[in-house]
Amino acid sequence: MTSDEALMLEFQGGSRAAFEELFARYRKPVYGFFRRRLNNPERAEDLAQETFLAVIRAASRYEPRASVRTYLYGIALKLLAAERRKLLTSSTSGQPAAEPKTDGTPECVLWVRQAMEMLDAPEREILMLREYEQLRYSDIAELLRIPVNTVRSRLFRSRLALKSYLKWEAKNNPALRPSAGQPSPGRRGTQ
Amino acid sequence: MSTSKHPIEQEELMAYLDGELPMERATETLSHMELCPECQTLATDFRGVSQELLAWEVESPEAGIPSEITAALGEQLQKREASKVNWPRLENSVMTSRWAWAGAFAIVCVAVGLTLILIMHNRNEDRSTVYPSMASIEHYLMPDRNAEIALARSAAPESISSDAKVLVLGWRGYETAIEGRNGFVCMVERSWASPFDSAEFWNPKIRVPECFNPAAARSILPLTFKRTEMVLGGLSKAQMIDSIKAGFDNKELPAPEPGAMCYMMSRAGYLNDTLGHHIPHLMFYFPLTDKSSWGADLPDSPVTLNPQFQGGPEPITEFVIPVSKWSDGTAAPAM
Repeated sequence: MTSDEALMLEFQGGSRAAFEELFARYRKPVYGFFRRRLNNPERAEDLAQETFLAVIRAASRYEPRASVRTYLYGIALKLLAAERRKLLTSSTSGQPAAEPKTDGTPECVLWVRQAMEMLDAPEREILMLREYEQLRYSDIAELLRIPVNTVRSRLFRSRLALKSYLKWEAKNNPALRPSAGQPSPGRRGTQ
Repeated sequence: MSTSKHPIEQEELMAYLDGELPMERATETLSHMELCPECQTLATDFRGVSQELLAWEVESPEAGIPSEITAALGEQLQKREASKVNWPRLENSVMTSRWAWAGAFAIVCVAVGLTLILIMHNRNEDRSTVYPSMASIEHYLMPDRNAEIALARSAAPESISSDAKVLVLGWRGYETAIEGRNGFVCMVERSWASPFDSAEFWNPKIRVPECFNPAAARSILPLTFKRTEMVLGGLSKAQMIDSIKAGFDNKELPAPEPGAMCYMMSRAGYLNDTLGHHIPHLMFYFPLTDKSSWGADLPDSPVTLNPQFQGGPEPITEFVIPVSKWSDGTAAPAM
C-alpha cells in the first residue's frame, strides 16, 4: 500500500488519483474529528471539507518531514479553534453558543461524552487525539506545542480519571452503560 | 505502586500499552507484567478505558467527493498545468535570446546535478557507515532471557503463543527455551533476517518478534537458522548468499509449505530505524511469485510485498497484510 506521504508527494506532482486516495483514507477520520468535538453534524461536514480544501490549496507547501496524518489534524485543529472562537463571539453571554442536542444518541455514546466532559479541556483534547485520531505522543506534542512529557502525564491523568469514573458508573448507574451489565460482542468488559 | 516492587512506573506502563516506549524498556515492561498481577490489572483497566471510548462511533459522511472539493482540485491541477505550459510564453515575451535561456538552463542543470550527486553520495555513505559491519555478538543478545521469551510470545495473541514453542538467541544460535504444544514457534529475529542489501543488515537494535505456524516453522524457520549459523560463523555476505543458493539447489533448504504464515502482532518489537514498532500484521509465504498474483502494492490493496526474500537469494515471496489490533487486543494505529 502506498504511504500517505508518497501519495501527498504524487499529488504535489499533479496526480488527481493520489489526492482521491488520500481523501478516501481520511474523509471519515477527519469528519469524525469534528463530529466528536462539535454537536452540529453539518458544521462537522463543512469543516472536514474545509480541511481538504486547505490541503489542496497548500499542497505545494507540504514537506514530508511531518506525517500526512499529523499535517491533516494540524489543519483540522486550527479550523476547530476558529470555529470555537466564532461560537464564542456569537454568544451574547460570553460563553460558547449552545449547540443543538443530538436526538437518538445511543446511551453508550452519551456515557462516553459525559465522561469526556468531566475532564479539563486540554486533557480531553490530548486524550481524544490519542484515542480517536491515534496520534503518537510526539505528534500531539508538536500539534499542541507542549512537551512530550506533558502529553504523557496529562494523558495518564485523564485515563486514571476515566477509569475511576467507569468504576463509579458501573456501581451507581449500570443502566447508562450497556457494557457494565452485558459486555457486547467484540468489546472487552472492564474489570 | 512503588518502584521498589515495580521496576516500571504506572505512566510507563501506559506508554508501553500505547507503543510509546523504547524497545529495550518495552521488553522490560512486558517481562515484568508477565509476573505482576497488579500491573496486569492496571493494564486491563487502561485497555478497558480505551475500549469503552471506542463506543463513541460517528456516522459516515456522505459518499463521494463533494463538488466543492472536485472543483478546487480541478482548479489547482489546472493551475499546475498552466504554470508548466507558461514557460515558453514567458520565454517568448521576456527573453530576446533563446540561446541565453538555454545557456542559463544548462548551467542550472549542471549545478543541480552536481549538488544531487553530492547529496546522494553523502546519504549513501551515511547509511552504509551507520551499521557497516557486524557488532560483537553480545549487542545482538538480550541479557534477560525471560524478557526475550515474553517479547517472542508477544508476536501472536496469547491463545496461540501460550502453547507455542519459544526460541531464544544464545551465543551458539537459537535454542529452545520453552517446549510447545500446538506446533507454533515464537522467536525474536535479529537484523540479519533483513535483505542482504539493507543498510540495517547489522543494526544491533533490531528485535522482530515472530510466531510461525507449523507449516512455516518447518519450511521458513530453517532459513533463519541457516542465516544465524552463518552469521555466528563469521561468513561474509557473499559467502552467505552463495551458501543459501546452494542450500536451495541441493534441497538442503525447503520450499515454503502450503499455508505457511507468521504472526507479527507485537507492539514491543523494533523492526528497524525507519519503521520502529511498525504495525501489527500477518505474513504469508509462497514459492517465488509475482506480486500481482495477490494484487500487492496496488492502490487500495491492503496487501504489500515484503522484500525480505524475493529471490535475494531465497526463492520465496512474502506477502504482508496489516491487522487492526496488537496481539494484546488493543487497537493499532489506523493505516
